[in-house]
Amino acid sequence: MAEMIKLFVNGVEVEVESGKNLIDALKVVGIEIPHFCYHPALGADGNCRMCLVGIEDGRPPLVPACKTPVAPGMKVQLDTGKIKKIQQDMMEFQLINHPIDCPVCDQAGECTLQDYYMTYDAQDSRMTVPVVSKGKKMDFGCGVVHDQERCVLCARCVRFTRLITKTGELGIVNRSDEARVTTFPGRPLNNRYALNVVDLCPVGAMTSQDFRFKQRAWFLTRDKGICHGCSKGCNIFIDHNREKYKDDIIYRFRPRLNEQVNGYFICDEGRLSYHAENEGRLLAARVDGKDCSVDHAVQAARKALGPKILMLVSPECSIEEMIAIKALADAVGTKLSGYSDGYIKAGDGDGWLIQDDKSANRAGLAKLGIDATKETFNGALNSSDAVISFNNDLFIHDTGSEFRQKLEKMKVIAVSTHNNTLTQNAAIAIPVASYSESSGSVINKDGILQHFGRAVQKNTPLADMTQIAGMLGSPIVTESDIASEMKKVLPSLTEVIPEGGLKLTESEAAHVPA
Amino acid sequence: MEVKILSAKFDIKDAHMLEVAKQHGAYSQLDKLFSMEPVAVIEEVKNSGLRGRGGAGFPAGLKWSFLPKGLNKPVYLTVNSDESEPATFKDRYILVRDPHMMIEGIIICCYAIGCHDAYIYIRGEYTSQVKALQKAIDEAYAAGYLGEKVAGHDFKLDVTVHRGAGAYICGEETALLESIEGKKGQPRSKPPFPAVEGLYGCPTIINNVQTIASLPYIIENGAAAYKQYGTEKSPGTHLFGISGHVNKPGMYELPLGLPILDVIEKVAGGVLNGKKLKAIIPGGSSTPVQTPEDAKDLTLDYESMAAHKTMFGSGGIVVLDETVDIVKLVENLAQFYHHESCGQCTPCREGLGWILKIVKKILRGDGTSADIDLLVELCDNIEMKTVCVLSAACTMPVRSYLIKFRHEFEAYVKKGASAQANVKQG
Repeated sequence: MAEMIKLFVNGVEVEVESGKNLIDALKVVGIEIPHFCYHPALGADGNCRMCLVGIEDGRPPLVPACKTPVAPGMKVQLDTGKIKKIQQDMMEFQLINHPIDCPVCDQAGECTLQDYYMTYDAQDSRMTVPVVSKGKKMDFGCGVVHDQERCVLCARCVRFTRLITKTGELGIVNRSDEARVTTFPGRPLNNRYALNVVDLCPVGAMTSQDFRFKQRAWFLTRDKGICHGCSKGCNIFIDHNREKYKDDIIYRFRPRLNEQVNGYFICDEGRLSYHAENEGRLLAARVDGKDCSVDHAVQAARKALGPKILMLVSPECSIEEMIAIKALADAVGTKLSGYSDGYIKAGDGDGWLIQDDKSANRAGLAKLGIDATKETFNGALNSSDAVISFNNDLFIHDTGSEFRQKLEKMKVIAVSTHNNTLTQNAAIAIPVASYSESSGSVINKDGILQHFGRAVQKNTPLADMTQIAGMLGSPIVTESDIASEMKKVLPSLTEVIPEGGLKLTESEAAHVPA
Repeated sequence: MEVKILSAKFDIKDAHMLEVAKQHGAYSQLDKLFSMEPVAVIEEVKNSGLRGRGGAGFPAGLKWSFLPKGLNKPVYLTVNSDESEPATFKDRYILVRDPHMMIEGIIICCYAIGCHDAYIYIRGEYTSQVKALQKAIDEAYAAGYLGEKVAGHDFKLDVTVHRGAGAYICGEETALLESIEGKKGQPRSKPPFPAVEGLYGCPTIINNVQTIASLPYIIENGAAAYKQYGTEKSPGTHLFGISGHVNKPGMYELPLGLPILDVIEKVAGGVLNGKKLKAIIPGGSSTPVQTPEDAKDLTLDYESMAAHKTMFGSGGIVVLDETVDIVKLVENLAQFYHHESCGQCTPCREGLGWILKIVKKILRGDGTSADIDLLVELCDNIEMKTVCVLSAACTMPVRSYLIKFRHEFEAYVKKGASAQANVKQG
């Protein structure tokens, strides 16, 4: 915990953390200092001049808040006529050459320029001379589209490629009001985090090819989620909307700040993984190639359950789902495997956010003592005559003919969120809700336990996997049963999982199943 | 009125060559220098009252004493020869006619501040000057005045010439540092000041060519001798570049403190062709204009300039006669500063272009009185809200023209309005 110091804002004493700049320190106590160029992940640049504040008896008396560390006894002026005039003037300068095309701009509704105009400017235009024209809808690569006229030259995107990805594709060329952000000729954006510049851009200058013109920002419901693209468990916002006469679908993922996990950013692959929540889903239950009700499919599956059935769980499943499935395996008296080598893309990770392991909860498997080795799996497979898979697509692990022949002789039951090779080859297929449509907890590769809530509400909701497990005969399916079971395996978990996640203790994280 | 201290060797044939320069005293002060303690050198320069000749006039010795002590980092000297302020042409004389005077000055300064690597930042357009300077540096290396042992003393000093690419802003000391580091020439926010965190993050002193070139005289003759010239608070001499409508334009070395009208009359031969004096730009294009009335008691020193709400600047005096169209002059000025704005800070980047467009509108005959008011307000809105003072270098003079010569702007507005009325009637 940092040291607390006292200073004055508009004559009122406030207590803030030392070591921070004025923008960050005062934000914590609910005082906003407007700014475009400053971003906590990118540091202070000081070019937008929007955060100029007065310091009574200060030398100099006018300073950029982003570059000014808090000091005890400092007398900060934000509400003087002089400061308000400066804020209005800076907004006027930002807007004189801006196209003001909000009606067709994707940023409208979540645009700093719009918000600040209403708060700090609100005057009519005095611009009676021609505006500067610059480049429009420029393809910057990686699905980033740039509009130079909307740009406020805050250089956040430029600094992102220089300081964060260290790829440096972006730069500002030219001087004066001809200055503009651009790429070098023939060298477009080429990094796996490029779409973060869209979030970083405080205005509509950077838009995502994937999202633009799909949805107005104010129609979107923003729910908190955890990305299931890999074992990092990046925190995201799931922005979704149910349009009239249509179903609730996801329009985009955006990064959500979690200093402990992903900071301010997510990778492009994870960001675009929302498509898989909308598309390619298994929606109807099937028995022997014929669509049927979920109840009917579950009854058919129940008949197949017995000691000779191999249960397979996916490292994508939440802890709660794994607990219910494990209890089911115990009740049925059969083996449970978490074999899932196919989820690992060796060498794909980059040591930052992107991981080799493309599953969200492999650590959860280990925590519950579910064996995931190929040897045990193969042994179990040989001694079984049926397989029930919980969202684990066996065919991505091993598609050799020997394996296929083995499976063909077995009765295959697939409980799945998506249509895939396994569901196509399964005698019984049962659809379940995916992670954006259900709630649960996952443990990331660093041993951080995180909870996510239900975001999307489909018109016809699919059953949760725990529910299906219960229908199949699992004794642990109620929320309270699962919660008490979770506390048993995770001693660190005494209360609810805190926002930002719970770092499990060393021994818990390193726990290896017997 | 003229004196010959800095310009003593300017008229000697081949004084830029080491042999000739040495015959006239170049490098003669090095033994004396190295017999002194560095602090004593700083003290001597402080006592001389020498002020930075780049424009701001900050006392040179005081600037040197801001260097942090006991830091385990190299100290750099950067000599600013960007000389980019319009109407300024003084440093180029030193670079071409007496470069060894400056090199000797560099040795003195570096010894005083404990610097072993000096950079000379020279503007890109100075092609012949950079050649002359490099030749002199090569000569100095060959003769042992630079390198491992400066003049045989146990002091290492390397001097590197860095050519700019012709940006006005690179005369601003921190943009200059960025440029040397190979980055886009954009000023840094201060603090930290360069004396604490400058070139490559190390303590750095940045001095103008003329400041550095003044040092050999001070070491040779002492602070008291230097203070004989000039005024109490603005001691010494300065190279003034007098241009515009005068009979004898040119570079003149004068002690500080002379009445500006006398200098124009007696040194520069008076207004060209006996025309009437309209205005004087006292110290380069960025200094607020003076009318003949204002200039009556204006003297060429920092204090008098400040009292007249203008600045001493770089000593580039421009004389404007009655034929000058002030609105067109302001257009030219705004065009220059707009073009040279680095584009970093919002008000300067967007505002200077706006000012230029409004001035053009007035010139076209489309302007209104409200446009003139807006121009004055924009000057206030832009000035001092930016990282560096380039914006002020434009708004301060523009405001002075708008206020002192408003009638000329109004005349354009009126002319435009009546022309438009005629079109409507016709």
